[in-house]
Amino acid sequence: MIARDIMQKTYHTLSPQQSVAEAVKAFQTASGMEKKKVFGLMVTDEKDHLVGMLSMYDILLFIHPKHIHVWGEMEDVDLSEFYEGRMERVKSVRVEDIMTPEVVTIRPDTHLMVIADIMIKKHIRRLPVVEGKEVVGIVYISDVFYHMLSKFTA
Amino acid sequence: MPIFEAKSVLKGIHVKEIMRRQVVRLRVDAPLDRCIQHMIKFKVNAVLVVDEKNLPLGIVSKTDLVSAFYAGLPLETAVENIMVGPLRFCFPDDALEASLDTMQQNRIHRLFVRGAQAQEVIGVLAFPDIVGLIYRYCRTCSRNLLKLSGRGPAEASLLQVKDVMTPGVASNRKSDSLQAVIETLTAHRVGAVLILDAGETPAGVVSKTDVILAFRRGLEITSEAGAVMTGPVLTCDAEDVLTDAIQRMIFQDVQRLFVAAGAASDMVGVLSLSDAVRFRSGSCRACTSSRLMA
Repeated sequence: MIARDIMQKTYHTLSPQQSVAEAVKAFQTASGMEKKKVFGLMVTDEKDHLVGMLSMYDILLFIHPKHIHVWGEMEDVDLSEFYEGRMERVKSVRVEDIMTPEVVTIRPDTHLMVIADIMIKKHIRRLPVVEGKEVVGIVYISDVFYHMLSKFTA
Repeated sequence: MPIFEAKSVLKGIHVKEIMRRQVVRLRVDAPLDRCIQHMIKFKVNAVLVVDEKNLPLGIVSKTDLVSAFYAGLPLETAVENIMVGPLRFCFPDDALEASLDTMQQNRIHRLFVRGAQAQEVIGVLAFPDIVGLIYRYCRTCSRNLLKLSGRGPAEASLLQVKDVMTPGVASNRKSDSLQAVIETLTAHRVGAVLILDAGETPAGVVSKTDVILAFRRGLEITSEAGAVMTGPVLTCDAEDVLTDAIQRMIFQDVQRLFVAAGAASDMVGVLSLSDAVRFRSGSCRACTSSRLMA
């Protein structure tokens, strides 16, 4: 069993030049189309080459104020007003600035066991499948899990 | 001779209680482009440069990157070429006050924290991070609780923005080049410049972050400040209570507020997270007075 057999051939991508607000919209659109929650998207350039990965974590890290941890014990402060206008002020920041540029990838012929191994050891939940330089699919941890499950329960 | 020891909110606190354990680091051969990306992504003002064995070699700050842009270095330049040293260290069990003194004496804003193994860096103590600690202390201070219940000292005993702000505002015109803006940043040793439009009203801000982002985007140094500035200008009033201003900076995730007096377009100073720390006392006069009595 290799990556080609379990990978998803339809996937959504982001462009490095998109703003963070546009990326958030893309997450919503992708989730709607896939009818499941999308936690990370591949970032590809105009030649369809993979340049990075943007996960929900990256966006949260960016939106979340850096020194906010001191606020944990302070329930009497109204937080809603502080997010107002935040996206407007950070509109100069793009996907390429907050994405993870070093991406672990696999080839279409990578064996399932190797895929599971990478996911477990590196705490990765999705792996782009790359042929040459071009993205051909993506393998989610759920694909690996449910495939193994079917083997064990059959 | 009697030894007077200053009394401050931070007394009795050790480095390990406030340091950040996430140290953003890059290999010596990483390009400046990647360095800027890390600063934006992890919201840090400086990146630790390490060798292939992960041993610390130097540091690259936003200021160094601004200088690299000014000097016309290409984005592919390795960080090795602009990093500075020697690094200053502290230890997890050091007193926070002593570490702050080290920073002020050396005019630096962060110390790296060394672990049990020689050369190993286990954390970073950055100047602006300490403001949260002071703030937390004041929140639980009995004087503050009295204030909240409405039975406490009058507002007059609370510190105001004007007590700790840095007076004076460095500014440039919207039509000025980035080169001029960088010169202002350097001459005034500030992190951001106020950008005025033709009518002398504040239109935006260009911070060092905006400058390095422009560098990453491949903009020319002759580009207009108006093209990279961010707005609106976040302000507070000179008469505002310090704690409220700090709260705004923390929540809105900015490192400074411009201080207005009276008319909104009349800027009299800048309040940065670092200013609040330099004061080292809490946010009301209770701490200042007890310090005098010590």
